[in-house]
Amino acid sequence: MGQTKSQFSDEELQDYEDLTFFSKKEILLAHKKFKSLAPEKVGHNKNAKLSMSKILQYPELRVNPFGDRICKVFSSSEDGDMTFEDFLDMMNVFSDACPKKLKAEYAFRIWDFDGDDMLGVSDLKQVIERLCGSENKLDDCDMKEIIHCILAEADFDDDGALSFPEFEHVTDKSRDFLNSFRIRL
Amino acid sequence: MSDASKNKQKTKKANGWEEAGCEFYQENYCADWDGFAKNPIAITTLLPSKQNRLGTTKRNYTHQDRKQKICWQQFSSTAPRTYQQNEGQFSLLPDLSQIINDEEHIWEEMFQIKQLPLSMHQKKEFKLDLQSATKLRLQGFNQLKWKHRKAWQKIALEWSKFNAAIKLWQSSLKNIEGHFGSGVAAYFTFLRWLFYLNCVTFLIIIIFVIIPNILTYQNFVDRCKLAQNLNRSKNCPSEDNERNTYFDLNRGSFDVLDIVQGTGILEVSLMFYGGYSNKTIGITFEDDNNSTQNENSYQIYYDLSSAYIFAVLGYFATTLIFIVKASAREFKDRLINGRWQFYQYCNLAFGSWDFCIHNEKSSIIKHKAVFNELKSSIHSKRIETERNNRSNDYMLKVIMIRIVINFLVFIALILSAYVIYLLFNISLKRDHGKFSNVDYGEENPFDSVNASRSSSLQLFELFFDFAPYICIVCLNLIMPVFFKYLCNFEKYSPLFVIKISLIRMIFLRLASLFILLSRFYYIVIPNSEKNSRSTSYNCWETFVGQQFYKLVLTDFVSHLFVTFCFNFPRAILAIYFNNNIVKFACEQEFELSKHALDIVYLQTICWIGSFYMPFLPGLVLGIMFLMFYVKKFQCLVNSKPTKILYGTSRSNSLFMSVLLISFVVSVIVLTYAFAEVSPSESCGSFRGLNTVWDAPLSSFMRMPIFFKNFVFFFGTPGFVIPCFFVLTLLLYYFYAVSDANKNMVEVLKNQLVLEGHDKKFLLTRLLLTHQDTQE
Repeated sequence: MGQTKSQFSDEELQDYEDLTFFSKKEILLAHKKFKSLAPEKVGHNKNAKLSMSKILQYPELRVNPFGDRICKVFSSSEDGDMTFEDFLDMMNVFSDACPKKLKAEYAFRIWDFDGDDMLGVSDLKQVIERLCGSENKLDDCDMKEIIHCILAEADFDDDGALSFPEFEHVTDKSRDFLNSFRIRL
Repeated sequence: MSDASKNKQKTKKANGWEEAGCEFYQENYCADWDGFAKNPIAITTLLPSKQNRLGTTKRNYTHQDRKQKICWQQFSSTAPRTYQQNEGQFSLLPDLSQIINDEEHIWEEMFQIKQLPLSMHQKKEFKLDLQSATKLRLQGFNQLKWKHRKAWQKIALEWSKFNAAIKLWQSSLKNIEGHFGSGVAAYFTFLRWLFYLNCVTFLIIIIFVIIPNILTYQNFVDRCKLAQNLNRSKNCPSEDNERNTYFDLNRGSFDVLDIVQGTGILEVSLMFYGGYSNKTIGITFEDDNNSTQNENSYQIYYDLSSAYIFAVLGYFATTLIFIVKASAREFKDRLINGRWQFYQYCNLAFGSWDFCIHNEKSSIIKHKAVFNELKSSIHSKRIETERNNRSNDYMLKVIMIRIVINFLVFIALILSAYVIYLLFNISLKRDHGKFSNVDYGEENPFDSVNASRSSSLQLFELFFDFAPYICIVCLNLIMPVFFKYLCNFEKYSPLFVIKISLIRMIFLRLASLFILLSRFYYIVIPNSEKNSRSTSYNCWETFVGQQFYKLVLTDFVSHLFVTFCFNFPRAILAIYFNNNIVKFACEQEFELSKHALDIVYLQTICWIGSFYMPFLPGLVLGIMFLMFYVKKFQCLVNSKPTKILYGTSRSNSLFMSVLLISFVVSVIVLTYAFAEVSPSESCGSFRGLNTVWDAPLSSFMRMPIFFKNFVFFFGTPGFVIPCFFVLTLLLYYFYAVSDANKNMVEVLKNQLVLEGHDKKFLLTRLLLTHQDTQE
């Protein structure tokens, strides 16, 4: 504990504590986990930038079908490589104390594959495909029907795609979202 | 003025970057008019709704805002915000003066940084800027109020950190989540919640009942030797009943069997109802010592019998509050979503993948589970249309089968109830003189057997003592398998199968419990037609408490046995043999409904038995602690990940509804016991009284007269009738308000659809116009 604490000054820790939902202990724990992904590199520079493939070694991200999207969304350089601050941001959003709105915002960004700020038909199609996994394929007409059902449930202004307020409303009502969009540190 | 000029410079410099008037954020979208020419579709990013969401508008406090003091409030998406647009658009904020915020609002803003969807780098900049901004100092009283708020905030933070630190079993939960997903983890969270609930209620009992009784505990037998009055035959064991319920001083030995059965030294201790006194402790202020004489001359007194009953009532009230609070959210959702859609597909798409899974194998199974769920929901939609077209013959056949199976289930329940009844009778008959004068009219041949019995005889006794409970437990294990087998013939939809098997299991458990309770009832109330020398037990409450004790112990031991000695070898066999038959017999899944029922059954016995055995909550507390590890073993080692998708909300509503049913049942049972059955005359806190209620009633009568009049006022018609009318009016008012709100929601929904159509229309027209002007 003493060794990791000396890497962060008190001021930095206080900064991180103020800007995230973690306590100082949890921030140090997060750094420990970050370090375990690439011990030598992080040992040199505590805010080192790790490549996406290294980040995807983290257990929860490795088996997650949206792992690469998560890395891209949280990476400050937009290419999937994350520094420790990005990693902390990510764990912050996935933590228990994070409010619903923030989670919904980032979930929206993760699932917005084409980046047009709406969850259109192609986005939804990719989400469902990735959820089912590479071994299980749905037929075309099943997929069409599912997407049609989703839009019927959630698209209030009937424009063929989910905008963020609609998405937020839907995730607010379906309580499973809050419980499943979570990674414990 | 300065802001607008700054904006001008920045937009000139950053070509293609949008500056939304707040110096801290930069947007990636090219959204000025030049950029629009390059990429017309990006006009949607100029819309106020998008800007508002991405936090690119800065909130300036007006005087009205200062009145609102909510520190942790999130930015609501439609909160009225004034924003500074970049040049070329209408500026809504007059640039007269820059509003300088005072310390308190800067401090509030700091907490709201956390909730902005920005990267850490940007948040740090924002924080630096806030800290270096000029602040007004607060004057006098405001300063005091602010310091007060800061202090409270700090305390709340420390408390939440403390709470998080002492949370039990966090690492186990994480492990389970990683392997099985959050649905199964919800079960263990429920178990932990029940554990906390039991802690709190046991604390209530300890503080109000057990500690005062410890302070005034007198050895039961000594008490009897002292009392040389006429009441002796009632209050103390008579000589010919030497071998029965009470601790025989002459024996003096400490039998292990006694601990298991709750007899012997445990019987007269504070563990069971019989050991509690009905005295009143008084504290006097004239002289300085505590004494336990009669209460007339004291100023404060503590009536142990009233305390006993109020502790039990408080226990139930606390439990009810906890349960209602925990299930309120589910019910609120159900009520709000009543007429609306259920968001089934959105839930599947957005909420079905547990991000906390970290195991490769579980993720494969999870993929398959999601796939299956998607497929089955699509197919069930199709089947439903098909089902409505089913031929009449087929429906008739299915209905006949269902009637037959329900009848079979009913017969099975009756049979099991009868078996328990028989065994209980046998066990009581064989009870060697422990409870004399049972009203079965049979001369007990073992009455005269005295001190030393051979160990085999003792074991034999023990077996018959525990026989009914072993039977109950075995039935609880075997019957659900039988019911599940029957369910295959009934052709219900999968969701309904789960519900109906759960209902049948609940009936089975409640039936066995009811048989037990009815047997107790007939033993306790003396049957006057039988032979005259048969009196009831001298202390039937202790007897009932002992039976509950035995039931709890048997249940727990059975769980241990089944998990470690039965399921564990099965799991090992399933791993090492690849045979299909072996796999069919030995592979287990962690069935949530069955395990939830186990825990809730334990809790129900605890609730019912707590009046007759005050230490039962403590015992159940210890058992639950161990059960967590037993169930964890069953889950992680014996079972493989389930193919059914268990969402947390579905699991939670399942647990809460089952818990609520059991709670209602236990309250009904205890209320009946209080109202109908008179307490025994020779032991316990309520000895000699007609009903249990007499104790608090008599202590209430001793209260000062104005207090009594005040309470009696609540019963008079002058209070009740206006109260009734007012409550009815309030009810109607709330109903009317909620109805109006529902209508309003429908109206707004339609309006939203229309606005969306308008927006689409306008955007396409804009695009067309732009294309026309370009050409």
